[in-house]
Amino acid sequence: MFHFLLTLSKWLESTWWGTGARSTLWGYPFVQLTHFSGLSLWLGTNIAVDLRLLGVGKKQQTASQLSDALFAWNWTGFGIAVLGGFLLLSASASTYVQNPAFQVKLGILVPTALVWHIVVQRKTRGWGKTQETPAIAKLAGLAELLLWVCVITAAVLIPNY
Amino acid sequence: MLNFCEWLEQTKLVSTIGGTGWMYVTFSVMHYFSWFVLVGTIVLIDLRVLGVAARSQSVSRLAGQLFPWTWTALGLALFSGFVMFATGAGDFYPDRVFRVKIGVIALALIFTFIVQRNVPKWDRAPSISAGGKLLAFISLALWVGTILAGVEVPAISGLG
Repeated sequence: MFHFLLTLSKWLESTWWGTGARSTLWGYPFVQLTHFSGLSLWLGTNIAVDLRLLGVGKKQQTASQLSDALFAWNWTGFGIAVLGGFLLLSASASTYVQNPAFQVKLGILVPTALVWHIVVQRKTRGWGKTQETPAIAKLAGLAELLLWVCVITAAVLIPNY
Repeated sequence: MLNFCEWLEQTKLVSTIGGTGWMYVTFSVMHYFSWFVLVGTIVLIDLRVLGVAARSQSVSRLAGQLFPWTWTALGLALFSGFVMFATGAGDFYPDRVFRVKIGVIALALIFTFIVQRNVPKWDRAPSISAGGKLLAFISLALWVGTILAGVEVPAISGLG
């Protein structure tokens, strides 16, 4: 399995996009820009709904209304973030797949946070109908927020390994 | 000023933070997290003004909900950013790329203030003027610019 990943990694590094991201002056920052811009949309919309579920800040609208309004850009942001992430990965795939922080981030934390986000997003339609959200909704929103903080922590630790 | 920065860098508190892995990571995570929330919320408001996001609600409703979080995130970003700056103040302060980053942030903030002040006026109008949309577009572009400037500091100058 690992040998397969390594072979796949070497292939990714040799592609035109992997090479471009790695070896041109503007390639790598531009790829980072894509990943972080996508993350701003993705996390901005996620955290906004989480905060509204938690009841933090203004209550100009229900959590359900906010979630519905932000839905399209939430997933657009996700798409952009994944594209940027894929390009970042391609630049030095073989070092990333052997990096423990990256393994934890992409192998465990991102799938968990993503699944949880989908659960929260779907549940918010019911939870978020009233101005005051039920306790379980607050807990779910907090859990999602903390999960994404964990993902960012793992990402920040990648250069350390 | 450079003397102040070099002094700041070697104070007990700052050098402890800079030299302790988990402390620096904490501020780094805070900085990324708050930056994503800051840029994400502003960009969403700008996209609403441009008429391509959250059309189910008025500009003032979306902005009223998001702006408080925007400014809180900005506070956290500035705080965590300052702490990280302090740990390498002597290197950051003279760096041209870092100065460009701060300049772009300042510009972006100015446009965000302008957008925020115009929100009530845009709400009352039947549709938002081309000038208003241009303002929102510039704000959006500048905030994306802050991300680019942010990644260029380590890329070009090797700092942070």
